[in-house]
Amino acid sequence: MNATYGVVAITLVALATIGIGAFGLRLSRTTSDFYVASRSVSPALNSSAIGGEYLSAASFLGVAGLVLATGAEALWFPIGWTTGYLLLLVLVAAPLRRSGAYTIPDFAQVRLQSGAVRVVASLLVVGVGWLYLMPQFQGAGLTMRTVTGAPGWVGTVLVAVIVMVNVVSGGMRSITFVQAFQYWLKLTALLIPVFFLLHAWTSDGSPSPVAPSDWILPFGDPDPETMYRIYSVMVATFLGTMGLPHVVVRFYTNPDGRAARRTTLIVLALLGAFYLLPTIYGVLGRIYASDLIDEGRADAVVLELPSRMMGGTAGELFGALLTAGAFAAFLSTSSGLTMSIAGVVGQALSRRGVVSNIVGLQVAAVGGVMVPLILALSADRIAVASSVTFAFALAASTFCPLLVLGIWWRGLTAPGAIAGLVGGGLCAGVAPIVTIAVHPEGWFGVLAALPAAWSVPLGFALMVGVSLATRHKVPADVSRTMVRLHTPEGVELKR
Amino acid sequence: MTHPDADPRTGRVRITSPLTTASPHVRRTVQQEIDESTGIGEVYVRSLVRSQLRAALTVVTTLMLTLGALPIVFWLLDFNDLAVFGIPLAWIVLGVAVYPGLFLLGWLYVRQADRSERDFAALVYPVDSSTERRPR
Repeated sequence: MNATYGVVAITLVALATIGIGAFGLRLSRTTSDFYVASRSVSPALNSSAIGGEYLSAASFLGVAGLVLATGAEALWFPIGWTTGYLLLLVLVAAPLRRSGAYTIPDFAQVRLQSGAVRVVASLLVVGVGWLYLMPQFQGAGLTMRTVTGAPGWVGTVLVAVIVMVNVVSGGMRSITFVQAFQYWLKLTALLIPVFFLLHAWTSDGSPSPVAPSDWILPFGDPDPETMYRIYSVMVATFLGTMGLPHVVVRFYTNPDGRAARRTTLIVLALLGAFYLLPTIYGVLGRIYASDLIDEGRADAVVLELPSRMMGGTAGELFGALLTAGAFAAFLSTSSGLTMSIAGVVGQALSRRGVVSNIVGLQVAAVGGVMVPLILALSADRIAVASSVTFAFALAASTFCPLLVLGIWWRGLTAPGAIAGLVGGGLCAGVAPIVTIAVHPEGWFGVLAALPAAWSVPLGFALMVGVSLATRHKVPADVSRTMVRLHTPEGVELKR
Repeated sequence: MTHPDADPRTGRVRITSPLTTASPHVRRTVQQEIDESTGIGEVYVRSLVRSQLRAALTVVTTLMLTLGALPIVFWLLDFNDLAVFGIPLAWIVLGVAVYPGLFLLGWLYVRQADRSERDFAALVYPVDSSTERRPR
């Protein structure tokens, strides 16, 4: 690929991100602006921002790469990431907004009146965030190297610095504009080249992909391990989305509960439209770029296709456009994650009176980026898709039970919540460490690589079981909390 | 001996109560019932929560019976030969058809959830005052 176009594309995205962030800066003055954009973001803008934030490197590059490498089975990932929003919509969206809290630890505090649950939840937010942030930074380095030949750390550091500057200077309000812009950039970047690539493909006589039958058929071979993998990915992605801190924090920016539902519904449409595209890249990649699998660079298929299929200036330009989209993906997801980590840690700092609210947020943003940045630079590269799935599994095993039971079951107690968060968190948190450090084989390896199918039921069981055993600790004001979570804002009640 | 209020012609005495000790009859609003967490207030809130939970669980069940069953369906039934415009059916279902389906489910849910909330609001603000105080 021609490095000049790639560098220009990355520079433009970086400038646009900082520029829109600066525009937001002029509007962002109060603490509320910093944390939740003063809760005045309309569903249309907010859903674009959620889409922009959610579509990470794993969606923009990873899905096509997985389709190229593993075929139909890979389609379950985008399905899971979209279905996660449907379950978020029906199980938590409106009550979460009505809880009036900024973050999941806030929700835990509102619902359970317990400082201990708050601390455990805060630690988990940071853990999930770092697990998700590290592969984003590493993916940025990889893209930079693919496109420009620069050393891997350049892209990694660049993304980290832009994100830090943005969060520190403008907080959530500017991030909302940046995220909304980046959804449309990502969609455009994938959509426009598709028409030209498909045209090139039909001009070529519409060849079919040459692939083994298990690539074409989702479950040609009735293999229990494959079945376990599919269902575990389903559990992790379906239930993990609602517990991802950077997703949840966006819901507090809705004006009210109904708007939160509207927003989520639009997000479903935006994600569905987006996920139609990576599959096309993956299938075309199987025809024109199958050598990438052997090189272990399947994730680069989206970036490489235009120059391979079209060549010339047009191919280079489309390659640059896709590079811009990929960079937008790294920037937006990293910004959202950093913002959510900073929100939680910054609040913890300012609550203890260490620093003021805004300073706390800024200090936390710098800290929240530095740790995964150091990890990304020092650790060996872990495949983006698997690292992201670990983050989903951890969120699904801890925050999903906390939110679902907290919203729908009056019997949840603080000891129950802590038991579930710690138990589910340990299982889903140790599994990736075992997988990365030991690489276990056979069934144990499969269970450790995709823990969600057993760690999520465990998290739920611990929360319900311990809550039932400590029934006398059900918060006294649980009825009032239920009124607050479930009644529409227009009805004037004591909340 | 005659009572001072007695009718001099009949000798009957009029006995009345000043009603100062009886509690005044005031209609309690649903709002008060809920705010004071009375039995009736609890019933109203619980019925709202239950109808919202029912809508949510309907979606969850639908997902389990459709998406959740797909791997087994693909595994048990042989779809190898089924294709639309040369594209295997499994790819059409997993790559395209799933997404409008998910949106449709979400849309139906939002409609139902909004309706439950409107019904609840109508319960709290009965018809006569609903025109001026109807929630957004």
